[in-house]
Amino acid sequence: MRGETMPADVLVVSCGIFRDELAALGRAGKFPWPVRFLDSMLHMEPERLEQALTALVQSLAGQRIVLLFGDCQARMDLLASREGACRVKGHNCCELVLGREEYRRLRREGAFFLLPEWTARWREVFRERLGFVTPESARLFMQEMHRRIFYLDTGVVPVPAETLAEIGCYVGLPVEVKAVAPDRLADAVRKALEGFNE
Amino acid sequence: MTGEGTTLQKLVAEVLRRINDADRDGASRLVDQWAAVHGYGDAIAEILEPVLRTVGDRWEREAISLAQGFVAGKVAEDILNKALAAAPKGVFGEVKGPVVIGNIEDDYHSLGRGMVGTFLRAAGWAVIDMGNDVSPAEFVDRAVETGARVIGVSAMMFVTARGIRGVRDELDRRGLSGRIMLAVGGAVFKVRPELVAEVGGDGTAGSAMDAPVLFKSLWERSLDAGGEQ
Repeated sequence: MRGETMPADVLVVSCGIFRDELAALGRAGKFPWPVRFLDSMLHMEPERLEQALTALVQSLAGQRIVLLFGDCQARMDLLASREGACRVKGHNCCELVLGREEYRRLRREGAFFLLPEWTARWREVFRERLGFVTPESARLFMQEMHRRIFYLDTGVVPVPAETLAEIGCYVGLPVEVKAVAPDRLADAVRKALEGFNE
Repeated sequence: MTGEGTTLQKLVAEVLRRINDADRDGASRLVDQWAAVHGYGDAIAEILEPVLRTVGDRWEREAISLAQGFVAGKVAEDILNKALAAAPKGVFGEVKGPVVIGNIEDDYHSLGRGMVGTFLRAAGWAVIDMGNDVSPAEFVDRAVETGARVIGVSAMMFVTARGIRGVRDELDRRGLSGRIMLAVGGAVFKVRPELVAEVGGDGTAGSAMDAPVLFKSLWERSLDAGGEQ
């Protein structure tokens, strides 16, 4: 396995949205690095995310850190350019599992993406965090911004068909299931680590 | 405090309450009722502007949700479109422009850009909105084709904002810098204002409401620089 040649002091700091995927990859021997997670809901509060990430990275001084995040807060580049730190390449978590070209193609078609962890927390996301407390307000926003929803099935949890139907009804958009490969996450970390080794 | 002043304060508070409840139709209806008596120009100045200032302040303090900000934007769009329909040359005077706006390549966060377009149109600008994911060359091509002297480019995140530098490079390459001005905006520019200079922006605005003042100033700078499109 290519990952076995990587430095032993590498630690991955990941968005919690990938918790199940990284656990599954680890069990399969495809993700050899230890991982620290932050709550994925911090995505909704970029300043708090920045504070939490900065504090965590500082507490890990002396280790090589790969940030498994998108460009989720305004100073992510500064954090990732600290000595010993780097970030995987990708604008956001959906691009990480879809690949750049597929992500761009679907976004241009008006796609909104759901990963498994946020799907399980969809009420918290739409109602509590985004404030769409009624289906009407959610539909107003989602139908103006998007044409359809893709559930990105990473294959580590059963597709939550009932929940997806609820979401589709709440926001008034069709929901499709699209299989994606979680192995891309390990590939992204490996590519980021190549920057350390160059 | 006059009776009308008190009434206005209560009305502004009620419009805000309905926006907080994500009740677009209810909020718009209240403004319409005022406009039916006093006109849309008055409704914009006396109700919509204070409402949007309050919403903007709350947004800055992260004391408002995306849904509430979105609904406030839609209410503003509703009222400004009705005002434009009542006064087709623009609420504030003659038609100006055209100007080109859009989100830079790879950026799909259209909420702010939509608001900017609404306020520009209300201020009398002919706006060519190119939508999301627009390449630098496409921006400049369209500005040249239409005679626009200002291009407004929006980006929400740092990685996409850096792509705006490509618009500046394209303007430089074609010898158009100075004649076509580059306005930049989006959430990341508020957090990192130094980015305006880094991407070669000629100016930015603190909010969508401030965009007409920025575009007017940039248009005048373009005219001062001289030269035909």
